[in-house]
Amino acid sequence: MAAFTYAPAIVLLPFVSFLVALFAGDRMPKGGALAGITATGGSLLLSIWVALTVAGGAVHNEILYQWTTSVETLQLNFGLLLDPLSALMLLIVCLISFLVHIFSLGYMNDEGETGLPRYYGGLGLFTASMLGFVVANNLLMAFMFFELVGLCSYLLIGFWFRQDGPPSAAKKAFLVTRFGDYFFLIGVVGIFATFGTGLFAPITQGGEVVAESFPMLAEHAIVDGEVEGIAMLETVGMGPQAWFTVLGLLVLGGVVGKSAQFPLHTWLPDAMEGPTPVSALIHAATMVAAGVYLVARMYGFYALSPTALAVIALIGGFTALFAATMGLVKQEIKQVLAYSTISQYGYMMLALGSGGYVAAVFHLTTHAVFKALLFLGAGSVIIAMHHNENMWDMGGLKDRMPVTYWTFLAGSLALAGIVPFAGFWSKDEVLYEALIHGFGTEGGLGTVYLAAYAMGLLAVFFTGFYTFRMVYLTFHGDARSDTARDPEPVRWNVKGPLTVLGILATTIGFINMAPVAKLTGAHIDFLHTWLSGPEEGGWPELLSTDLHHYEELLHEVPHVDPAYPLGGEITTLLASAAVSLGLALAGVLVARSLYAGADPVEHTDKLGGLKTLLMHNYYQDEYQVWLATGVTYPLARVMNKFDQGVVDGVVNGISSVSLFGGSRIRRIQSGVVSNYATLLTLGLVLLLAAFGIMGGWF
Amino acid sequence: MIPAETYLLLSAAIFCIGLFGILTRRNALIFLMSVELMLNAANINLVAFSLQHGNLTGQVFSLFTMALAAAEVAIGIGIVLVLYRNFTDVDVTKATTMRW
Amino acid sequence: MVALPDWMALAPALSLALASLVLLLADSVDPDTTNTGLLAGISVLGSLLSFGFAGWFITAGTGMADSTGVALFNNQLVVDQMALFFMAIVGSVTTLVVLASYDYVAEHSYQAEFFVLVLLSATGMSLLSAANSLATAFVALELVSLPSYALVAFLKENKGSVEAGLKYFLIGAVSSAVLAYGISLVYAATGVLRFDGVATAISSGTVQTIVDGSVQAQAGDPAVPMAILGVGILMIIGGVAFKTASVPFHFWAPEAYEGAPAPISAFLSSASKAAGFVLAFRAFAVAFPIGDLLAAGGAINWVMAFQILAIATMFIGNFAAATQETVKRMLAYSSVGHAGYVLIGLAAVSGSGEGLSLSMSAGMSHLLVYGFMNTGAFLFIALAEYWGVGRRFEDYNGLGREAPVACAAMTVFLFSLAGLPIGGGFFSKFYLFQATLNVSAWSLAAALIINSALSLFYYSRVVKAMWIEEPTGSRTIESYPMGLYTAVVGAALVTVLLLPGFNRVSEIAFQAAQLL
Repeated sequence: MAAFTYAPAIVLLPFVSFLVALFAGDRMPKGGALAGITATGGSLLLSIWVALTVAGGAVHNEILYQWTTSVETLQLNFGLLLDPLSALMLLIVCLISFLVHIFSLGYMNDEGETGLPRYYGGLGLFTASMLGFVVANNLLMAFMFFELVGLCSYLLIGFWFRQDGPPSAAKKAFLVTRFGDYFFLIGVVGIFATFGTGLFAPITQGGEVVAESFPMLAEHAIVDGEVEGIAMLETVGMGPQAWFTVLGLLVLGGVVGKSAQFPLHTWLPDAMEGPTPVSALIHAATMVAAGVYLVARMYGFYALSPTALAVIALIGGFTALFAATMGLVKQEIKQVLAYSTISQYGYMMLALGSGGYVAAVFHLTTHAVFKALLFLGAGSVIIAMHHNENMWDMGGLKDRMPVTYWTFLAGSLALAGIVPFAGFWSKDEVLYEALIHGFGTEGGLGTVYLAAYAMGLLAVFFTGFYTFRMVYLTFHGDARSDTARDPEPVRWNVKGPLTVLGILATTIGFINMAPVAKLTGAHIDFLHTWLSGPEEGGWPELLSTDLHHYEELLHEVPHVDPAYPLGGEITTLLASAAVSLGLALAGVLVARSLYAGADPVEHTDKLGGLKTLLMHNYYQDEYQVWLATGVTYPLARVMNKFDQGVVDGVVNGISSVSLFGGSRIRRIQSGVVSNYATLLTLGLVLLLAAFGIMGGWF
Repeated sequence: MIPAETYLLLSAAIFCIGLFGILTRRNALIFLMSVELMLNAANINLVAFSLQHGNLTGQVFSLFTMALAAAEVAIGIGIVLVLYRNFTDVDVTKATTMRW
Repeated sequence: MVALPDWMALAPALSLALASLVLLLADSVDPDTTNTGLLAGISVLGSLLSFGFAGWFITAGTGMADSTGVALFNNQLVVDQMALFFMAIVGSVTTLVVLASYDYVAEHSYQAEFFVLVLLSATGMSLLSAANSLATAFVALELVSLPSYALVAFLKENKGSVEAGLKYFLIGAVSSAVLAYGISLVYAATGVLRFDGVATAISSGTVQTIVDGSVQAQAGDPAVPMAILGVGILMIIGGVAFKTASVPFHFWAPEAYEGAPAPISAFLSSASKAAGFVLAFRAFAVAFPIGDLLAAGGAINWVMAFQILAIATMFIGNFAAATQETVKRMLAYSSVGHAGYVLIGLAAVSGSGEGLSLSMSAGMSHLLVYGFMNTGAFLFIALAEYWGVGRRFEDYNGLGREAPVACAAMTVFLFSLAGLPIGGGFFSKFYLFQATLNVSAWSLAAALIINSALSLFYYSRVVKAMWIEEPTGSRTIESYPMGLYTAVVGAALVTVLLLPGFNRVSEIAFQAAQLL
């Protein structure tokens, strides 16, 4: 397929733009922005081409470069896996990155920022890394690009490195995600040691499987009991399911860090110190998505472990609620968006954990669009407000910047989950999947699903509230400061991306209107079809990364089954949709009643002690800092003592013994040649005597 | 015919005398002479066993050894000469500027 | 492949000999010439030609067809893969040394003699690589030694040089006497000097003789006296130990390397050592097969002897190097230590002779890599002497700022010598380590590891002085000698290139060792 031949260029183009911006950005107009726009635009076109080819039923899984040639038991490769999931993700990343590049013209160039080549270089490298991660066909390559993504986020968050906040926020983001990545790394090593391969999907040539993938090997081990080839199981002395759960949870460490799930979510709000387009690109639409995408990518592996699924669902549901409550009291527009991001990724994890593979991918898609929109809208507001982000200084911007207002409103409606905006369809599906699987699954797993569902449902109300609190405070009422009365106008390069995203946020939900499809029987759940592939043959048979396969696995191994508590499927569906919509509307209405006036006042004091708790984000940062200074640091000091005292002592001892020995040995060399002759003779005689006695010569 | 062991004993004795000279004498020239003794001990062996074995290899090789010994002495004398120029002595234990 | 006459197989040695004769001719035409360029040019040409021939023959497959290679002069000389491998080492080291000597001898008299002696010695080394009889080996060895005595004492007005020459000569004379006596004993025991004849005598247990070029049992089937043979072999080990600067015949080495002109130190510690080892490899692999020796009973277990010598050499060389104050002497001792590493090539062998090919090829590969990195390191010393930088470690402080290229090259040499993966030294040491593990020679493996770790300490002292320390006192470098720089940078380049290219080298070495 021609599209697949050119697919590596999708990754390479932004990388080239990185190099161009870095080395020639100074001498180019717009500081390298044009190179970035061209490159991401090119990548976007290629991605569309790839997506069309994939839509034609073709998939691609190939090794491009092999690191290890001699070791047969271990395969370390660079390779491409292009299937519907990665094709969809490519589209999302390229589109958002393209729009963010354009938006940056308005946010960075027009504002007269310095260091633009560094900025566009970072964006280019980030896009390249993220795309490389998306197309990776094995875990090692994915890990490498995962780390590159982390590095880029460090560079971009800390873009304004001369101020105090950004460098420390960058450090925090890097360290916290690194913490999760340690587990990921161990998981990668564990998976390679166990299966000898990190492939996500088997590679076939002419119908023959030439390289098996690790999810398939794991499946054979658990479903068919083929454990002979896996020597690692004996080494660790666990059953296959227990050991695979351990591996899955280790990898999940990286996911929790990158996707900002509890308890490693603390870096994301701080990361808002970076330029707002960066926030839109990496902390809303793509980098944070990497974690969720990874779980979806190796879903065949997670589907084998009920424990891992339960952990994922619980973390997701809890994070969704937990982050939403913190978003209630924030005063800065980007902070609200930051917490809403964490919360929304919680929904995706909830969906993945509770067997809603399509729902998760769907929410990933819609969220990427509307969250990018909201961040860019916030960026537009920030330009207008001369970089004052406090919502209490805004107000009444509705009339002065209508494009921003209407697009922002579309995004907010999507975020709050109001029909028919994008977020409603996807969030509804997430909750619906959790609900039916909660009732249908026996044992503890079902209970966990129901608990997670309850948390997710409650979070819907809070989401509606904080979203519209933000909208009302920012755009409605009277202007509360001079800048708000006379905001700086924004240009086409801001309005253009906003419009595109605004339209998409309104319409993208239509790609998978599952409730409508169920009601009418029409096949309009396109995403569902996209991910499940043809019934017989086709790419699912080649790759086993299709929805049917996952559903079978979920049914067979952890026994995740749907059940419809309220009569039939249709009634349950409608009831679920009505409840979540009702809660969202309730949230919106409460926000309206509290903040919609011409001159809104703060109501947070009414929360009493709760307000302090929320403002301090449940003291998450404090306890993590305490963990570092109160526990780790003393421990490290003890280790240091041990190292300096015992280890260094032994090492120094050995070295002084060696040096002393050396100073003795060199004394043999007396400088008198007669002595040399004597020693030489002595040596020869000694050897003669020794070997003579041994050989019996005398 | 004189038994081979006798030749071996003779050559070993001469070899040891040469070695003794090297270990005890300090004069570079005597050192050289001692080395000559050791080499000639080898020659005795070669010639004697050439006869014993009935092939000429040993005798021919002993000619080579003698020629090499002569060359070695030529170089040796040259070095002794520059030794005398630099240290005003042919005592081999005097040259100890480099050690340890 | 062009069909060459058989004698052309010796072309690597012949081109060196020819070059030395041309030099003598040039010198007799104009005895007081100071045209260093011409003299060095002839020498470089000759040695490059030698290297080129050796490389050509290796790639063209000379000596590969059958295990005997090209046999000359009634089997006295054999040009096979092993011989060519060492001829290539000798050719390359000689090229570097004469190139570097261009600047070094420029202000001395008797320049032509200097180059003649170097080339004659190199001729001996080349011949020694091909020697297939104890007789030719002895003659070639003396051809290596005699010019090198004179070369060490070349600086006639310099006390150090003369003293070094004296010590080298005296120990060398004793050692060659010991070797000659050992050869005479082996002859006494076996009746032959040719390696294949000695091997036949050992395996059959009867005295042999050579009739019309073929080995035959002597009339009456007299038995080989194993005791005499054992003493002879032990003395031959002594002769080899002298040439390779191994314990207990190493005493000359620190002084000779320290006192000699630095290019000559490079020459002796690389090429001369390699020549000693090729004699050892060939003699002990072909003439004294360990399996037959042990089966015959009563004779010497030379593998054990080499194990003792290897461990002692590694420890004495490296430990003494660790506490030196002058850089050149440190390198001299480290050179002794490296002889210990290469001795593993003959020590990591099982009782029945298994693993010999692997360990010998490891030793050969190390010698090749060593030929570049050690030559380079000594040539850097030559450069420092040329600039008048002092001898001690402190004198090198801050040199990296004034001569960054040369110091970077030196860093490559030193780290490669220590076995860091910056040059071929990493793989060659690793290969030696594998050879020790192959036969479960734990003591050798441990000695190799301990001494490599220690060597990193003293090598990095120089690196630290060059790059990290502040310069003490004022020092100005006025000129950057072209010949020395070319040689140093070239050696560094090859050292680094041997990192990716090591596979090829070890393959050739392994093939060569297997063909024996």
